[in-house]
Amino acid sequence: MDVRAQLVMVFNLDKCLGCHTCSISCKNIWTDRKGAEYMWWNNVETKPGAGYPRFWEDQEKYRGGWVVKGNNVKLKAFGKLSILLNIFYQPHMPKLEDYYHPWTYEYSKLYEGGEEDDQPVAEPVSLITGEKIEIESGPNWDDDLGGSPLYAENDVNLEERRILNTFSRLFMFYLPRICNHCLNPACVAACPQRAIYKRGEDGVVLVDQNTCRGWRFCVTACPYKKVYYNWNTGKSEKCIFCYPRTETGQANACAHSCVGKIRHVGVVLYDADGIDDVIRAREKDLVDAQRRIILDPNNENIVRLARENGVPESWIQAAKTSPAYDLIKRFEVAFPLHPEFRTVPMTFYIPPLSPILATQKIAYEVEDCQEIPTKDMLRVPAKYLSRLFSAGNEEVIHEALDRMIVLRHYMRAKNLGESFDESLLRKSGLTEDRAERLYRLFTLASYDDRFAIPPAHREYDAKDVEQRKGAKGFGVLTGPRGGL
Amino acid sequence: MFDLLIFVAIPYISIALALFVTPYRYLSGRLTWSAYSTQFLERKSLFWGSVPWHYGVVILLIGHAIGFLFPSAVQSLLSSMTRLFVMESIALGLGLLTLLGTFVLLFRRVFTGVRAVSNIADYIVLLLVLNQAITGVYMGIFARWGMEWYLHTAVPWLYSLLTFQPNVALVSGLPLAFKIHVLGAFLILAFLPFTKFVHFLFFPVGYLTEPPILYRWVKRRKA
Repeated sequence: MDVRAQLVMVFNLDKCLGCHTCSISCKNIWTDRKGAEYMWWNNVETKPGAGYPRFWEDQEKYRGGWVVKGNNVKLKAFGKLSILLNIFYQPHMPKLEDYYHPWTYEYSKLYEGGEEDDQPVAEPVSLITGEKIEIESGPNWDDDLGGSPLYAENDVNLEERRILNTFSRLFMFYLPRICNHCLNPACVAACPQRAIYKRGEDGVVLVDQNTCRGWRFCVTACPYKKVYYNWNTGKSEKCIFCYPRTETGQANACAHSCVGKIRHVGVVLYDADGIDDVIRAREKDLVDAQRRIILDPNNENIVRLARENGVPESWIQAAKTSPAYDLIKRFEVAFPLHPEFRTVPMTFYIPPLSPILATQKIAYEVEDCQEIPTKDMLRVPAKYLSRLFSAGNEEVIHEALDRMIVLRHYMRAKNLGESFDESLLRKSGLTEDRAERLYRLFTLASYDDRFAIPPAHREYDAKDVEQRKGAKGFGVLTGPRGGL
Repeated sequence: MFDLLIFVAIPYISIALALFVTPYRYLSGRLTWSAYSTQFLERKSLFWGSVPWHYGVVILLIGHAIGFLFPSAVQSLLSSMTRLFVMESIALGLGLLTLLGTFVLLFRRVFTGVRAVSNIADYIVLLLVLNQAITGVYMGIFARWGMEWYLHTAVPWLYSLLTFQPNVALVSGLPLAFKIHVLGAFLILAFLPFTKFVHFLFFPVGYLTEPPILYRWVKRRKA
C-alpha cells in the first residue's frame, strides 16, 4: 500500500445557484491575459446542455480519456507511436469555435465617437483579430436553457430526449467544473514532452510552462477539456487548483468566493497502488472501486503508512477533519464526474435533490409523505444523474438520494420536536451523530467547516528557497511571442 | 567575392549563431520555446499545409544528413542507375510535397484569420523555407542526379568548412540555384535561435519508454 495525500474539492450541487461568481473570480486572477481570453479554468454549465466547449462529453467527437482494451488501459485518442505521427496536425483537437470566439466591446466609441444623429453604440470586436464580429456563442451560451431543443436535447447524457417535450418533466441543474486533478490524468500521459506532471505532495496537476512546447496532445486527451491552448504563448494552460493560495492554507478563489457555499476542500489519503484496479474496473463498479482506494484517516495503520511515506503530520490531521473524506467515503453522497473516462477524477459532486415533478398526482402524493418527496418524485431522473456521476450505476445514486431525504425527515422531526424512527436512519447508514455532521456540512458549514486546507511544507525544499527568492511566480511574464 | 560570402562567411556566422545563441535562449527564454501552432484558430487549410510540409521536409532533411554522414555508403547505394532513379524520384516527390505545403501555409498566413496572430518572424520563416523548396525542386528537375553530385561537391565542401580549411573551389562552379539553396540553408541556421524554428530541436521521443503518469515531488520520499 502506497499512501499519498491529495487535495480534493467537493461540490454540493443542491446548493449551486448558477451565479458564475466562481468563474469570474478565477478569470480575474488567472486567465485575464492575452491568449487566455477564451479560457475558463472554472466554468458553470446548465445540465442538460451542451457545456463548454460544446459537447465536451461526447468522446466519439473529441476522443478524450482512456479506454480498456483487453488487459490494457489506453488513451482513446492515440497510442504512443501515433502521437508522433499526429504531431503536425491533430484531427480531434477542439477548435476555437467549439469554445467561443472571445470578444470585447468598443467602449471607447461611447465617449470618443463625436457628435452623431444616432445614439453611440459599443459594437463587439474580436479579442483575437480586433475586427468587428457577430457574437455567435459564449462560455455559458446555453445558460438556463435546460429544455432547449438546440442545446439540451443534444446532451449525450440524456437518453430519453422525449423528456424535453413534456413540460411537467422538464428539469435542469447547474454543474460547476474545474480541472479534476485526476489520479490517472490523460493529459499527463499524452504529453510527449513530459511538461505536465502531478505534484506528489498534494496531487495538483500542472503544466510546466518552461517545458511545454505546444504539441497540444493534452488538449485532446483530457476528456473534460480542461487543458487549454494559449494561442499567444504557444503553450498549454490549465486550472492550477490555486496552488499559491492552497499552499498558504487559503481556499481556492472559486471556492472562497462561492456565494452558495457549495464547495468543500480537504485532504484525502489514497492508496496509489490501487489506482491500477480502479482504471480496470467494470463500468458499474467504477464508483465503488474509487471509493475503495480512498483511505480512512482515523485508521492507525493507515496513518502509520502515511507517515512512513512522508505525508506531513499537519496533512494527516487535516485529513482527519476533512469535509471531503466525510462526503465521499463516510457518507457516500459525493460522486466523481464521468468516472467512465477512467482518469480517476478527484473532484466530487453531491447530486442535487430537485423539485418534484409537476404532475397533479405527485402534488397529492407529496402531502402524504410529510411534504418531503421521495426520490421517485424528484424531477431530475436518477438515470440522468447516474450517467453523469456513476457511469450508469443507478443504485449508488439512489442510495445517496435516499440518505439525503432521510436526513431531511430526521431534521424536520427534530426541529418540530416530533419523534423519529431511528431505524430509518440506520437503514441509510446514518446515526444521530453522523446525521448531525452531515446536516452541518450540508447547511451550516462555516469557512472552517468547508475548508480544511493544510499549508504546504516548503521547508522541505530549503535549498530551493534561496533560488526562489525574487522569482516571478506563475505566469508568462516575458514577451510571449518568439522571434524578431 | 559572392562565393566567399555564401560559402565561407555566412556559413561560419550562421553556425556560430546557432551554436551560441540557441543555448542562451534555452537558458534564458524557454517560455518562448514553442511550435506556436495555429491549428486552434484555423485547421482546414493547416492540414493541407502542415502535414505535407513536415513529412516532406523531415524525410528530406534526414536524406541530406545521411549523404553528409555516410558519403561512401550512399555512393555505393547509388551505383545502380535504377536505384539512383528511384531515390531521386522519391526525393523530388517529397520536394513537391514540401513546396505544396509551403504555399498552403503561406496562403493561410496571409488570407485567413491566422494573419491577426502572425508577426514578422512567422513570415520570414515561411519565406526561407519557400526559398529552399523552390530551389530544391528546381535542382531536382533541371540539375539532375543531384544526389550523385551532392556527394562530390557539397559534402566535401561541408567537411572542408568543418575542418576550418574552406575549399570554395569545390562548389563555385555549381549553378545559381544551388548557391541560393545553400545561402537559404545557412540563413535558416542563422535564424534558428531567434524564431520558432527552435521547436524542431525538441522532437520528443523520451516519453516512449517512460511510465505514463509523471509525478514531481518537492522532496522524494522513499526510492
